[in-house]
Amino acid sequence: MNPALLPLLLAVPLLAAGLLVIVRSRGVQRVVVLAVPAGTLVMAVLLLLEHRSVPVLAHQVGAFAPGVAIPFVSDTLAALMLAVTSLATLVAAWFLCVTGEDRYRFLPALLLMLHGGVNGAFLTGDLFNLFVMVEVMLLPSYALIAVTGTWRRLGIGRTFVVVNLVTSALLLTGVGLVYAVAGTVNLALLSDAAADNPPLALAAAVVLLALSVKGAVVPVHGWLPQTYPATSAGVMALFSALHTKVALYAIYRIYATVFDGHAPWAVVLVVLVVLTLGVGAWSTFGEHIIRRALAWQMIAGVGHILVGLTLFTAASLAAGLFYMLHHIVTMGALLLLAGAIEQVYGSGRYERLSGLIHRDRAVAILTALGLLSLIGIPISSGFFGKVALISAAAATGTWQGWLLLSTVLVVSVLSLVAMQRLWAGVFWGPEMETYRPDSPATGRAALAPLPQDVLIPARLWLPGATLVTVQLGMFFGAGTLMPLVARAAQGLVDTGPYVEAVLR
Amino acid sequence: MIIPLSIAVLVTGGVYLLLQRGMVRIIFGLALISHAANLMLLLAGVSAWRGEPLPDRVDPALATDPLPHAFVLTAIVIAFAVTVLMLALAVIGHNDDTKRMPATGEERAT
Repeated sequence: MNPALLPLLLAVPLLAAGLLVIVRSRGVQRVVVLAVPAGTLVMAVLLLLEHRSVPVLAHQVGAFAPGVAIPFVSDTLAALMLAVTSLATLVAAWFLCVTGEDRYRFLPALLLMLHGGVNGAFLTGDLFNLFVMVEVMLLPSYALIAVTGTWRRLGIGRTFVVVNLVTSALLLTGVGLVYAVAGTVNLALLSDAAADNPPLALAAAVVLLALSVKGAVVPVHGWLPQTYPATSAGVMALFSALHTKVALYAIYRIYATVFDGHAPWAVVLVVLVVLTLGVGAWSTFGEHIIRRALAWQMIAGVGHILVGLTLFTAASLAAGLFYMLHHIVTMGALLLLAGAIEQVYGSGRYERLSGLIHRDRAVAILTALGLLSLIGIPISSGFFGKVALISAAAATGTWQGWLLLSTVLVVSVLSLVAMQRLWAGVFWGPEMETYRPDSPATGRAALAPLPQDVLIPARLWLPGATLVTVQLGMFFGAGTLMPLVARAAQGLVDTGPYVEAVLR
Repeated sequence: MIIPLSIAVLVTGGVYLLLQRGMVRIIFGLALISHAANLMLLLAGVSAWRGEPLPDRVDPALATDPLPHAFVLTAIVIAFAVTVLMLALAVIGHNDDTKRMPATGEERAT
């Protein structure tokens, strides 16, 4: 494939977003909003096939000299992330069309802008450009939170905007510091540069600090469980698949490239990861609403993903990356199923829901499969994610490895108990008698007796079912996926081909 | 020396305003902080006054580094767009962070 096609992954969604602002026909909007992420998915699969023979594709935008130009780089890791996030975007867009949220005037256009920004962030090989892409991704998100517009979401949206803006200022400062120390912000030129340059190590740490706020690492995680559950389920599925994961991808990329092996302050990372795992799993107990509980599980998921980076061996990086792919798919599935339940029964509270297993057997089975995957019990992709993490941690044989290994095991048990509470609250118990039906005037009408024929229709749970199927596919197809992930991890350990392709 | 001091003053003011309750003050605080970040970027390339980065007028050896200028220009545009968006947010829901939120028929969160 010609590397000059790479910027199209950014340009096409942005141009399509512009088109959707002008074209108001709902049919056209639906087709475009589904076709563009599907196109990205096809492109990502083609890139993955291409990377079997050519490990890194790089394009210098504007044909400036290498090192001066902004490079767009695709390797196995970037292509994998593109594939999984575009799949999640596609399914979330499908869900938003089913629930009718695409009737909001600018929602399809904003969704495509977000998609374009995410693609750009995965492909860019330049720190400042990464900052720009993160902003391109966040600007539509500010609007997405507000556009499905109730008063409460508006207030919540402010928290999200303010936190992200302060973090962006910090990210910008970090990029400025890197430039001041190293004289470049091109990742290929920064490769392994921090090993013998303490000021650069500090500057890179500022960049990573900003990214870890965006990635919701404890203790700078507070914004996520406050803001995400207040948006609609479809938008939350979109955000959970994209925002924190882009930040985590960037942390992986920058940490692996700038430092040669471990950073000088790697111990801090161990402490933060242990805290993130523990706080995420433990706080799940305090929640009685499905999506709020899942938001805390997202924090625990961030911890799991970063375990791979903290240990920094080829096996642990591969395990962390596999866990990231699994987490995007599984969390998306659970959020969309929770959204389907809320859409029909008007609430996500454990107390209001009960006995759904008698009414909606399909949703119950799908949710069970998703929860098993979240905890890591077979048959699920989470099983291989946890097995890989634990065996990689045990293989290191250091105290960090053993600490993280035992934390992951304890956290899995905590999550299991917390998710059992969710399961028992929502799916077990006596038959439901009352519900809050949809009302066009106020959003939710008053409590009404629940008729027998009110069930979750198939069109609402099919998007979630698709992601559950993908997750099962990752379990049965782990034999083909693991070598891919291992190749992606190898690209992080040995940055030679990346540097060579960008600076050639 | 004067630029680091300006950055310090801007950040101090920005943090103070950020901790206020009203949305408009928070927006001013964010504007100050983003100005501080921009000054920091400028400082990354220009530690003293040098010539304009125009290759046909100034000897490239004497010209200043143009890259931080490009960074700052981009950052200013982004900060401007976000400020406008936030001012819009402040207008739409004015006072809802200092008074009770209006009744909408929604159930309360948590």
